[in-house]
Amino acid sequence: MPQSPDQLYSVHKTTIWFAVASIALVVTLVLIVFQDHNREWKTWQEEFVELERKKLKENLQAMHSKVDEKRLEDLRKELASAQEEFDRNKSEFEKLEADKTGLNVDLVKASARYEDLKQHYDSYKFFLEEHREQGEDEKAAQFERKFKGVESKLKDAKFKKEQIERKIEEIDARIFSFQSVKRRIEKEMNEFRRDEERLERKLKELEPSLIKDMINAPMVDFVAPTLEIQQVVLEDLHEDFHFAKAQRVDRCTTCHLAVDRAGFEDAPQPFRTHPRLDLFLSADSPHPLEKIGCTVCHGGSGQSLSFTWAAHTPQNKEQRKAWERKYDWHELEKWEAKMLPLQHIEASCAKCHGGVVNIPEAPKLNQGRALAQKYGCFGCHLVKGFENRWRVGPDLRNVRSKLDREWIVRWLQNPKAFRPSTQMPQAFHLENTNSEGDRRRSNAAIEGIATYLLKHSNTVSLESPPIPGSPEAGKKFVEETGCLGCHTMGDTSVNDHGPELVYLGSKVQDNWLYSWLKNPKHYSPETRMPNLRLTDEEAAHMTAYLLEDRNEQFDASVIPQVAADDLDGLAMGFLTRKMRQAEAQDQLRQMELEEKFEFVGEKMILQQGCFGCHTIRGFEEAKQIGTELTKEGQKEVERLDFGFVDIDRTRYDWFRQKLKNPRIFDRGKIKDYHEKLRMPHFGFTDEEAEALTTFLLSLRVEEIPLEMRKQLDLREQEIEAGRLLVSKLNCQGCHTLDGVDGRVRSLFSATLRGGSATSFGGEDVGKEPPVLDGEGAKVEEVWLYHFLRDPETIRPWLKYRMPTFDFTEEETNSLVKYFAYLDEQEISFLREKVKTKAATVAAGRELFTQFKCIQCHQGGETQTITASFLAPDLAMAKDRLKPAWVIEWLKDPQVLQTGTMMPTFFPDATTPLPAILGGNAEQQIKAIRDYLWTYRPEEVTEVKGGSS
Amino acid sequence: MIKCSCEERFSDSVILRRRSRRRISAGILRPLRGLRMTPLLLFLLPAWVFAGSITGTIKFTGTPPEPEQISMDADPICASLHVEPVYAETVVVNDNGTLRNVFVYVKSGLEERTFSVPGEPAGIDQKGCHYEPHVLGIQTGQELEIRNSDATLHNVHSLAQNSKPFNLGMPIQGMKLKKKFENSEIMAKFKCDVHPWMNAYIGVLDHPHFSVSGSDGAFEISDLPAGDYVVEAWHEKYGTQEQTVTVTEAEPVVVEFMFQAT
Repeated sequence: MPQSPDQLYSVHKTTIWFAVASIALVVTLVLIVFQDHNREWKTWQEEFVELERKKLKENLQAMHSKVDEKRLEDLRKELASAQEEFDRNKSEFEKLEADKTGLNVDLVKASARYEDLKQHYDSYKFFLEEHREQGEDEKAAQFERKFKGVESKLKDAKFKKEQIERKIEEIDARIFSFQSVKRRIEKEMNEFRRDEERLERKLKELEPSLIKDMINAPMVDFVAPTLEIQQVVLEDLHEDFHFAKAQRVDRCTTCHLAVDRAGFEDAPQPFRTHPRLDLFLSADSPHPLEKIGCTVCHGGSGQSLSFTWAAHTPQNKEQRKAWERKYDWHELEKWEAKMLPLQHIEASCAKCHGGVVNIPEAPKLNQGRALAQKYGCFGCHLVKGFENRWRVGPDLRNVRSKLDREWIVRWLQNPKAFRPSTQMPQAFHLENTNSEGDRRRSNAAIEGIATYLLKHSNTVSLESPPIPGSPEAGKKFVEETGCLGCHTMGDTSVNDHGPELVYLGSKVQDNWLYSWLKNPKHYSPETRMPNLRLTDEEAAHMTAYLLEDRNEQFDASVIPQVAADDLDGLAMGFLTRKMRQAEAQDQLRQMELEEKFEFVGEKMILQQGCFGCHTIRGFEEAKQIGTELTKEGQKEVERLDFGFVDIDRTRYDWFRQKLKNPRIFDRGKIKDYHEKLRMPHFGFTDEEAEALTTFLLSLRVEEIPLEMRKQLDLREQEIEAGRLLVSKLNCQGCHTLDGVDGRVRSLFSATLRGGSATSFGGEDVGKEPPVLDGEGAKVEEVWLYHFLRDPETIRPWLKYRMPTFDFTEEETNSLVKYFAYLDEQEISFLREKVKTKAATVAAGRELFTQFKCIQCHQGGETQTITASFLAPDLAMAKDRLKPAWVIEWLKDPQVLQTGTMMPTFFPDATTPLPAILGGNAEQQIKAIRDYLWTYRPEEVTEVKGGSS
Repeated sequence: MIKCSCEERFSDSVILRRRSRRRISAGILRPLRGLRMTPLLLFLLPAWVFAGSITGTIKFTGTPPEPEQISMDADPICASLHVEPVYAETVVVNDNGTLRNVFVYVKSGLEERTFSVPGEPAGIDQKGCHYEPHVLGIQTGQELEIRNSDATLHNVHSLAQNSKPFNLGMPIQGMKLKKKFENSEIMAKFKCDVHPWMNAYIGVLDHPHFSVSGSDGAFEISDLPAGDYVVEAWHEKYGTQEQTVTVTEAEPVVVEFMFQAT
């Protein structure tokens, strides 16, 4: 069309542009729709359908092969014979069917006749009533006649109809009985196939179809798609989006489709079943999916639906590379709540499980906590919730009585050079203080610390061994009295609670060691080392043995000389922090050499925070020197100083690096000696660093509603207080208790458990320290209280000794409660009374004699048989044991304590002595118990006399 | 397999009788082999003859350790039961240079088969403050009759790992108790905590094909269907040895185990 002169634009061109724009818009729209439709999760869901179908087919096949083919075959045969039987009587059956058809016709007729008459009847009745009411007698009489006439006909019709109905019912019953056998077999066969059919149905549901493609198609997929986002809305948990709180929504199950379903354990991710359905996700587990969700534990962005945006975190570099390749994954730099890498997942447990010493099923976190305690982390770092911990290093307030200057200096130079297993970290001559100048400064500082410690120390009176000890005898006592219940020595390392018993000859003098062994609290009132109540002789022998071992190399190491310049330089460094250069110099000039050492020593102790682990005079009020770690697990990564160290910018990488090499972040930095990083080097293994990192990551303060947390009731709190004390004093070093096998017990029972015999007594369970599982139900609280305060001998044949711990009143009560509550006992400091009758006691005495109880339960004075099979003196029973426990114990000791040497005398509630108390085992048991409550030590001889 | 009733086991001359019994059975079998199993004899013999068997002896080389004398002074009743010195039964080398108390059993080859549990119980006695026999075989589910023939307190402490452990006090002379083992185990140990020298070993199997070498060091596992088997010999001190054996129905397979002094 030619352009008309009045038009300012070309219609032709406009049309073309309009067409182009339309096409572009349509294409864009299609692309938008496509992009919106094409989501990562849909691919996963489609893949899962395939996987599920594969699984279903496999299951079906398995089920098919499991079907009892023989039974099925039998059923088929039965069915065939039933069919045969049926066929034989077919003519009869057909006749019945024909009869039934005929009768049905009759029934229809009869029914119709009846209905017809009924209508007439009702109609006549209506008019009769109507006319009567209006007084039209004539008409009324006419209808009355008709009514009466039809009434009898109706009766006949009804009778006829009912007769036919009955006949039909009879025929039906006969037809049914013809078919009943066949029906029963068919039903059973159906049941056989029911499960299979269910699976087949499900398989069919999952089959791809055109309809499914249509309902999942773009623009229509809002109606009822088969692929859809799955989500859990957690009503009690919230997410904080700065100023706005929203309910937490976890959409992880959109792709992790089988995470809460068993049967996908070997499926590839994201479809794998959660490895611990007993603990997590399933409805009857303690952490159901609907209540806890996923991100509370795993972290990450619960609402996101793509692999990257959900903030998945790789476990290691290999996985990171694999993810980058496979999923185009990249780190979400700005997202705070990334998922925890799996190796640290236990860190999340602490969010809800507070106030407990150990969190069940979280071994790595528990290990991390235990390490933090063991290596004294809480000495320098405040961590709220862990304030009730104890100092881990020895008390140095009387150090002058124990150590000399040279030893202290050598030790501080490198503690591990003296004892490789020591927990004392190295504080000097580390990576950032390794230059010649820094080494000289450190040497001055070490000399200073030694000076300060010795000067600010009291002396305690020490006793020398009264006899020259024999090392051989000492070795025996060290091995047999209980030292190994806490200490490592030689090849025996079942416990590492106390320091390893090596090289003591290079460290201490005999008078100190002797006095220490006799009473550790004399030298150090706050030591955790208990008193084994050693005789003078035992202590002397042990002293001789322990002092034999020397570390020659350590003894020969050269003590570096400290130049006056280095000392002055170090002192000036401290002085100028508080005063001007000139004033500092003045002050320094006024100091004697010894004073200078003391001064730098004090300042260095303050700088290094030695008092975090050791009690040191003059630092009673000093503040912890380390960063508070209460919220370390949620500290912004930006606030962690990575320096010039090329590691991943994550919290856990930083923690791990810091733990492995605490001074590394000074690398490449220019700093004064005083400004340098000062965390000492502990020499953690990779495993330990990982456990500690998990612990650090667990240190978060989060708003989890109270009702969502694991709440401890009063009893549980008491149990936890006891557990802390038990771990502090290492009760489980000897005793089996609270789910932990007594650690020294493995030395005794090596052969029983498949190892080789040791010098500690072979397989003899009776020589092991007692098992304390069930102790709360076993002993009276009042007895336990006194026993803990002042242990008495119960098993004189045991060489291991229950030490005296010098518990405070509070500690004793805490332990009594711990034992009682562990066994769900009520605490009562009154002994339970047992009412005894003379006749029962006499029967008990007879049983006691006949059962030869005394053969093992001998009194202290009368032991004649060898030690391995002795049992406690029963004269103690009434003071020590709970009456109800004795009954249960006598019924079957193995039930209360597996492996005990105490046999049952009443197997399967029978007794070998039918003549006593009518042969009633229960009454006999009670009689023995009653007798024990009247039992006097003198009776040992009497009963013994009676038995032989 | 040596089968003897409990009364026999409990009798004083148990070892003697067991020996004579084996001699007799061997005596019957020898002429049979010579006759090459004539059809007539086949007809007359009971069916079990058709099944194969494994026989042999447990040889011992080297100097046996000095027998360890047991002091029973700790319990005067035990001490009074013995005039002669009593020795531990850990290593008993017979006069003919064979090793006693070796438990020989079919370790594998019977997995596909199931076996009925014998109705009659196996037996072990505590007599003269030691266990008789010292080594014993039993089937799972079979009853074990434990007897105390002594006038002192014994306790039978089973240290079985695979079956429910038990610890029975047996204070009355002549009393008997019955126990069963649920699962097979080589070997379940019995000990008496009252008399620490007393111990016994029970081989628990889910089949009856086992034997214990006696005072002539011989053993016999009979009634075995033809096939390949792994046979293991277990000794308390010298551990285990195994051999692969092919059993045919024609004649017994002879297997020898050799234990060496350490």
